[in-house]
Amino acid sequence: MLRTVIAVLFAACVCAQTSRSVWDGVYTSEQAKRGATRYAADCASCHGSALNGGESAPPLTGGEFFSNWNGLTVGDLFDRIRVSMPADNPGRLTREQDADILAFMLSMNQFPEGKTELDHRTEVLKQIRFEATKTGDGKQN
Amino acid sequence: MHQSEMSGHNALRWAVLAGLAFLAVSAWGQQPSTKDGEWPAYTGDIKGTRYSPLDQINASNFNQLEVAWRFKTDSLGTRPEYKLEGTPLMVKGVIYTTAGTRRSVVALDAKTGELMWVYSLREGTRAAIAPRQLSGRGVSYWTDGKGDDRVIFVTTGYRLIALNAHTGQPINGFGKSGMIDLKEGMVTGTGQQIDLETGEAGLHATPLVVKDTVIVGSSFKEGMTVVSHNNTKGLVRAFDARNGKLLWTFNTIPRPGEFGNDTWENGSWATNGNTGVWTQMTVDEDLGLVYLPVESPTSDFYGGERPGNNLFGESLVCVDLKTGKRKWHFQIVHHPIWDYDLSSAPILADITVGGKAIKAVALPSKEAFLYVFDRVTGEPVWPIEERAVPQSDVPGEKTAATQPFPTKPPAYARNYLNVPDDLIDFTPEMRAQAKDAVARYKTGPMFLPPVLGDAKGYLGALDLGNASGGTNWPGSAYDPETHTVYAQAHQSALFPLSLRTPPEGFSDIRYVMGRNDAKFQLAEGPGFGSAADAPQRRPAPPPPAATPAAPQAAVGALTVQGLSIVKPPYAVISAINLDRGELQWQVPYGETPDSVRNHPALKGMNIPNTGQPGSVGLIVTKTLVVLGDSQNTTTPSHPRGAMLRAYDKATGKEVGAVYMPAPQSGSPMTYMVDGKQYIVVAVSGGAYSGEYIAYSLPSAN
Repeated sequence: MLRTVIAVLFAACVCAQTSRSVWDGVYTSEQAKRGATRYAADCASCHGSALNGGESAPPLTGGEFFSNWNGLTVGDLFDRIRVSMPADNPGRLTREQDADILAFMLSMNQFPEGKTELDHRTEVLKQIRFEATKTGDGKQN
Repeated sequence: MHQSEMSGHNALRWAVLAGLAFLAVSAWGQQPSTKDGEWPAYTGDIKGTRYSPLDQINASNFNQLEVAWRFKTDSLGTRPEYKLEGTPLMVKGVIYTTAGTRRSVVALDAKTGELMWVYSLREGTRAAIAPRQLSGRGVSYWTDGKGDDRVIFVTTGYRLIALNAHTGQPINGFGKSGMIDLKEGMVTGTGQQIDLETGEAGLHATPLVVKDTVIVGSSFKEGMTVVSHNNTKGLVRAFDARNGKLLWTFNTIPRPGEFGNDTWENGSWATNGNTGVWTQMTVDEDLGLVYLPVESPTSDFYGGERPGNNLFGESLVCVDLKTGKRKWHFQIVHHPIWDYDLSSAPILADITVGGKAIKAVALPSKEAFLYVFDRVTGEPVWPIEERAVPQSDVPGEKTAATQPFPTKPPAYARNYLNVPDDLIDFTPEMRAQAKDAVARYKTGPMFLPPVLGDAKGYLGALDLGNASGGTNWPGSAYDPETHTVYAQAHQSALFPLSLRTPPEGFSDIRYVMGRNDAKFQLAEGPGFGSAADAPQRRPAPPPPAATPAAPQAAVGALTVQGLSIVKPPYAVISAINLDRGELQWQVPYGETPDSVRNHPALKGMNIPNTGQPGSVGLIVTKTLVVLGDSQNTTTPSHPRGAMLRAYDKATGKEVGAVYMPAPQSGSPMTYMVDGKQYIVVAVSGGAYSGEYIAYSLPSAN
């Protein structure tokens, strides 16, 4: 019984923490436009101008990309960019610029835009679930 | 003394002495082998087999495997690595491998994964601008059999280093303080030494160690948008394993007077480069023959600056182990312009064809052909026919009239796009959309040459299986007991080939990859600029333009509703019997990607396993073929992750799978220590940074 209560509490807690997903309009079109410019300058030479990847880097759109991030959070993806990108000088870009690029990636992957810009704090972005398909409950199957 | 006259006591003594003598010989002079449970070379042995006779882990228990140890590589460099590609060695209870963005060498306790020593070299700019960066494929091992045991590897900045296997310290007496500057002797043009700091050369393959010889290849930046055809020239060199002395050099671009120089017409040998050997080489120690799989000349997709067949570009070359002199060669692709680099370790196979024993060498390839030769003479085991191929209409390009096609074994994966049969056909609508999509491209048989792409005409020539298709660097495996090659092959790797004139001042090559009516896009090679020592020479990007670049996803997309326009299986695993030259079995590789399984348009449809795209390595054991998924999936049976799978090597039936937290990114290996078998695999990708994971059975087993 106690275990059940804890499990329910835990689930509720997780749910509350990550109540939003990429389907909830988590960036603005203006931000994605800024990100497009930044992406062209800093990311496209490896990831391709259409985010379709190249010999040097994986695609940032499509099935493989989704399967890598499905079930994680936008914050996880943000941190991956912060830690390792651009590959020739990780951390060169500001958090705001990284958030813009991420907004552009979300827009290119057909996630809806919204009225508020994507935040640039990892802990806030960790509240946004990355879901490959729009299910409402985060489940995939 | 005649044996029958020996007393019992004497017989025992002789037996013991003989046994000791045998042990001494086997430890000292024996060829690297997996037969005692070790994995002493990158491909298990130096014959390219990736075979181990171990069978403790088998079909009955594979599902019970658990993580025995794991080794995270984040701290071995200034940042984590997400492309860990090493395959460890295991010798005398110790794991040796490379890892991390600085390509450190580590020694781990093979039972626990405990770090025993680590070695790294801070190379600065030299590493930061090197081609083929990141952790590399691993290390090699040399021993004199008397306690002088060495780990040999090539640094990111292209230095050959010999380390004491017990301490990790460089060996004094090998080169200069344990290292050899491999850039010394690398040239451009007619023999101009490259700059030791900024000159272009590197290698992430492991050296080939045979007897007291260390053989090292060379590689360069990717050849899509290169700045000069007069790039560094490839070569292969042999060094003395004891002192590092140079023994011989084989020029993969033959100089005047050397065989093949005349295949560079108009003296173009003098003004072209690349043509290195960036993958694993193999050797027949008994015959004293070394097999070199050579890559493309500069540049990958335009050969107008180098008319002729361009030996030894994309050739399998057999050279003498002692002298480096060419014994025979076979050019797999004449006048290479498709990036069909010879990507895999040639496999030495002693086979029996039509009752005749043949010492063969079998070459897996991006073309998904297995090219099989008598490894002594170079004669094809089955005829390889020269067939007419499409010709280029790009100004200045003169394609070869014919290309070699093996008649046997059959191609073990799709190697061109057959329209419309190879197009996605889950639904008629998808097929129709795919037909529309490929109509924007020139399509046709193998060896379709690049075109000058244009939105008003063809966007490109749609080749499949060249640059990243078929069997790539992870190579294949070979079972010496059943004479069977096991190959994983990517068969949905479409590669549109379009050329454009480079922007003013960018390159002296007439054409580079791209379209004249699209923005020029520099294409960097794998891992370029991402080693521990970056940032590097590249200037800061220009300030963002006022007008954002328009997303180009819609133009010429080779996807239909988010799915590949190529129909599944996206990749396959094949068993190819080399006595008969026939496919024994073929199954889809891995499992259906999430993007297919969860696709709204396919809901309710019963879609058989599509396999998943990608190139991965595999091993073969007494009973199993083992390899991991290249993609993450999230399925009803497991959370997001990838599976390491076992297949019955006789039938191809999947007999077990164990969870990995990320896709397989390096080829697996297996070994046994203290009666327990382990399988180690490098995983990384997506959110998951590089990690070696060792699996073994629970202790109760």
